[in-house]
Formats: sequence, structure tokens, C-alpha cells
Amino acid sequence: MKFRHLLLFVPATAFLASCGSKEGTSDSAASSGPGGTPGGVPLVTELPPELIEGTPKPIQVPNLEQAPTEAPTFLVPEGTELLSAGKTVTSSDPYPLIGSLDLITDGDKQAGEGYFLELTNELQWIQIDLEQEADISAIYVWHFHSQKRAYHDVIVQISDDPEFNEGVTTVFNNDYDNSSGIGQGSNRPYVETRFGKVIDGQNTKGRYVRLYSNGNTSDEMNHYIEVEVFGKALGAETP
Amino acid sequence: MNAPLNRRNFLTRTAGAGLVLGAPAILRAAEGGSQKINVALVGFGKQGKVLFEAMSNIPGLHFQAVCDIWDYNLKAAMAKVRARQGSVPKGYSDIDEMLATEKGLDAAVVATPDFWHSPHTVKCLEAGLNVYCEKMMSNTIDGARDMVRAMERTGKLCQIGHQRRSNPRYLYTLHELIQGKKICGQIVNINGQWNRAVTASQDIGYNPKLSIAPEVLEKYGFANMHQFMNWRTYRDLSGGPISDLGAHQIDIFNWFLGVAPKSVFATGGHSFFKEREHFDNVMALFDYDTPQGQVRAFYQVLTTTSAGGGYFESFMGTEATIDISERSAYTNIFRESSAPSWDELVSRGYLKKGTAPAAKADSGDAIKSYESAAPEVYQLPGDLNKPPHQPHLENFFASVRGEATLNCDARHAFESEAPIYWVNPSAIQKQRIELTEEHLTV
Repeated sequence: MKFRHLLLFVPATAFLASCGSKEGTSDSAASSGPGGTPGGVPLVTELPPELIEGTPKPIQVPNLEQAPTEAPTFLVPEGTELLSAGKTVTSSDPYPLIGSLDLITDGDKQAGEGYFLELTNELQWIQIDLEQEADISAIYVWHFHSQKRAYHDVIVQISDDPEFNEGVTTVFNNDYDNSSGIGQGSNRPYVETRFGKVIDGQNTKGRYVRLYSNGNTSDEMNHYIEVEVFGKALGAETP
Repeated sequence: MNAPLNRRNFLTRTAGAGLVLGAPAILRAAEGGSQKINVALVGFGKQGKVLFEAMSNIPGLHFQAVCDIWDYNLKAAMAKVRARQGSVPKGYSDIDEMLATEKGLDAAVVATPDFWHSPHTVKCLEAGLNVYCEKMMSNTIDGARDMVRAMERTGKLCQIGHQRRSNPRYLYTLHELIQGKKICGQIVNINGQWNRAVTASQDIGYNPKLSIAPEVLEKYGFANMHQFMNWRTYRDLSGGPISDLGAHQIDIFNWFLGVAPKSVFATGGHSFFKEREHFDNVMALFDYDTPQGQVRAFYQVLTTTSAGGGYFESFMGTEATIDISERSAYTNIFRESSAPSWDELVSRGYLKKGTAPAAKADSGDAIKSYESAAPEVYQLPGDLNKPPHQPHLENFFASVRGEATLNCDARHAFESEAPIYWVNPSAIQKQRIELTEEHLTV
């Protein structure tokens, strides 16, 4: 299938090549078939191996989505590409506490020390510049998967405005109580696993993708291992 | 040592804070303390980060210096301190350089690998610092002995990180229920366990691009980066699961009984993690002679399965059994049907009546005359509303300010830890070890 060739855009490490797996979906929480674009092709990406550390802490959030036991199935338009690999990432926290922003788009999704970024507490965002406008079909997110936990106020937005003042489309929001002040969302909190979380980009047009979070059920901090943005570039680089 | 935590303190701290417990009376002064304490963080790996997060809630601390041989950890420590206090601490990769350079330090919090606990603690004590050191005191009993001697020689404070010793849940259970109300009757048996899933017991991963230079690893006693990240699985560097996990709970056995066991008989094996030096599962039997009579205790630590109730200590007496854990969900008290009524204890707020377990339908294999009546379930009247390590750190810093005494100084920690050092030898030799003064004293 053509789309599988897109995996070449992911700089898989030797470890991933030996231990990772390429898996297509079926969101165990969904019972009505795969999400995404009807008639599309399955989104496929490298999945990291499971590496759980220590004793888990209780996850106490309402309406929690069941943790998946297999990779989610999600359909995207044929010709969809990974757009975010190696792209520049900025954040609301200018001084990450652990790691660096380039980890988010380096293609390495493993758990463990040295693979993740930690931003300070409270509501924080990271933002990926795709360098040109794109038709975005999916955003695949791994916050932190060496411990089962749920992140609060996960909000994903797309815009052509780097300041996100105008033309902002929210494609995911699980801030059930509007603690972020951005607005109440209807998406469900979910448990971090090696399978990541596929968010429907709804074929939204935009150059920038911004992801918010507000701590998690284990600690107050915000983490990212990898974010992959899939879609179709719409044209020449915009200024 | 531990100040009794009575029901009034227990409940007073609950008021206005929902179903939570605050700190015992001994800790209240620490919460309000404002005298600045200059702190050095020695070791900023996973446990160092846990302690730092717990200290972030304690007023009056100034993190002056941080020390870690891994630049990745050192940068994280400096960034987290900057985020907390607005100023960047001085960073060091070598503790000797830190102690020689930094002036005005009051205390060090040591969270290095076990085999460094004793050398680092002794260095800090001899430099005039008060020390909070993670448990296990050392990977060897002689290392632990050195720490006791250094504490007593220097006259500085040395708290060992058995954080349950300052947990209001444990203090209340021991002082109010077991010793005060003698709620268990005669404690005859103890059962404890920490069952951790095999998926949660995997080697810790790391990004090889961030590896420490081989010569640096060698200087600090590590053969390679895997050993640095996974020192808990190596016999020369740690005590293994019975030390990492079991020591917390066997300490509670010895603390609650007030005596050391007279023997240990253990078994263990490499049942799943066959490449590891330490056993991946250990089971140990301890025999005690207490003023109340003999007590037999069983403890198991499994890194191969999580089923069986997680982690708890169970004190089993003629009138009640107390299941207690750092997790409130695992904490319950079961009254034997023949025990005196606890209605007054409930009405006076010492206990809460728990939800009775659902009655099971009779089955054909049950012989009624063999069974005892099901015990009633009770619970403690509140809960801890802080990170589990915070009360113990509060106790340490309150003691540094002269406002409290340590809940687990090195000598008392040694008295409780000493039997634990003989579990692995018993399992390796497949022999019961009679614990004598030589085994148990400094």
C-alpha cells in the first residue's frame, strides 16, 4: 500500500527497527468501526515497545476512556504524509525542565530517560510549525507512556496564525470543566500507552498545530515524547 | 522518636480539608517554619526527583547546590530548582568539589544509588551537614554501620528515608489503635507483600545519545551505562527487590513490634529475569519474641506479577487484623466476630464502619462447621493529603530547625534494617539464619 511507504519519513532507530511494530488500528473504546476519513486508508506508523516503570498511581478523572490494548484504527485520505518530522517546535515554557523541544519531532517514541520533554506545571502548550499550509488529517500524540496516566486539558488546535489569535480550529478538547479557560470540551480523558493517541485532524487546513495540557494524574508536569502530524501539504512555503 | 498521633490530632488536621489527614502534631511547627535552610541535592535520578517534588511543598528551603554525575540529571535538577525558587543553584558532578566549594550549606538530601549512600552520607556529615538519606541505608551492613557511627561522631542529624515512619496513617495506627486501644488483641502473625507486575519491572531505558563517558562511569563504580541506569539489579550496587521494596515494609514489621526478629529463613530465585544478578522474587519468614508472645511474619516481594492485592502490611491478631499500606485503598481493619464491640470506637470517631463485603452464595464445597464468621470491615477516619514522602521530609527539616526530633534517625533505622541485610544471604545459602547481637548491632 502506498501509505506504508510514508514510514520512510520516520527516522526509526535501530532499537525501534528491532523492537517496534507497525500496527494498524481498532480503537478499543470505539465500537462503530474505524474513525477518520470514510473510504480512506489506514494510518500506519511505528509504535514503540512497551516499557512500564515502577508502581502506577491511581488515575482519578471522570469519563476516562479505556486504555487500548492494540493500535487504534484510523483512516486517512490516500496520499497522506507525515508532515512534522524534524520540524521546529516552540512552547509556552521557554525553559523546559527536562529534555529539549526537538525531541517532539525526532521520530523517537521510546519510553525511558532522554526521550521525553518535560514542561513546567499549569497549562502549557507546544506548537509545531509545518512550514507550509497543509490539509491535516491526523495528529498522533505520545505524551509519556512508561507509566499509565492521563493528562489533563488536552486540547489540540490548528491555525495559520502562529499566535493562534485568528482562524483557530479546535480538533480535540478533553477539558471537561474548562479549567484551561479555552473552553469546555467533549472529548474524553484517556490513558497514555505505547499505542499513543490518534486525534482526528478533520482535514483542517493550517500551518501550525498547537497542543495544550495541564499536568497529569501522576504529577503536575507536562510531557511529550513525540507528536506526528499527518496530512497533505497544500503548496509552497508561506512566509 | 515518633510522637504519638492521637485521634484529636488526626481529626483536627482533617477539618476543613475534606477527607484528608494532615501531618501529626510533631510536624506542624515545620509547616510554619520560616528559618531558611540551605539544601544540597545529591543525586537527581528518579528518587531524587520524587523527593524534590515532595520538598517543593515545604516552605523555607533554599536549594543552593545540586550534584549528579549525569549531565542529563544535573540539568534537570538545575531547571527544576530554577522553576521553583527563581534562582539557579550551583551544579556539580563531583560531591567532593561541591562540599569543598559551597559555604553555608545546612543539609543534604542524598538520593544516589544504594552503594553510594554510605560514602556520600558520611562525607556530608563530616562536612557539618545534616543529612536525609534514602533507604536502604547501604548495600552492605557495614556501610550502614559507618553511617550510624558518623552521625554519632559528628553530632549532626541523619534521617533515613523510611517515609512511612512519618505517615499519619501509620503513626495513628501504631500509637492509637495498636498500642492505645490494643485493637488487635495479641498480634500473632504478620503478612506483607509488594507484588509488582513484570511489565513494571523492566530495565529502565535510556537514550544512548546521552550516555555518560565510560571513564566517568568507571570513576564512580559503574561498569557501563546499563549498570548506571539499572543499578538496582546488581549485587555489588544494591540489595535488590528485598531492599528496594521490601525494606519499606519489613521496617514496619520491626517498628510496630518494637523488636528485631530472632531468625530469618528466605528463598528466592531468578524465575523470569534470568540475566539479573538479584533474585526477581523473594519470600522470607521471620520469627519474633515479643513481650506479648511469639510472632511469625511472612514477607514476599515479586517483580513478576501484580495480582494478589498490591502492596501492604497485615498485622493479624486475636481480635483484629489491620491491613495497612501507603495506598489508602489497601488499608482496612477487620474485627474478629469474637472481639469486643467497636461501636464506641466508631461513635467516638476512632474508626469508620466500612462497607461489608458482599455475602457469597453457599456452594457445595463449603463445610460450615469449618468456617469462622466473616470479620467486619472498618476503616481509618481520614487520609493523607500530601505526597507520601513529604511528612518525613518535613520532620527532617523541622528537626534541623530544632523544632522536632527525627522520626527515623540512622541508629533506629539501622536497628530495623539490620535483619533485612540477612534475607539475601539466607536465600542464597538456603539456610535459616539465627540473628544474634553480631548480626544486629553496630
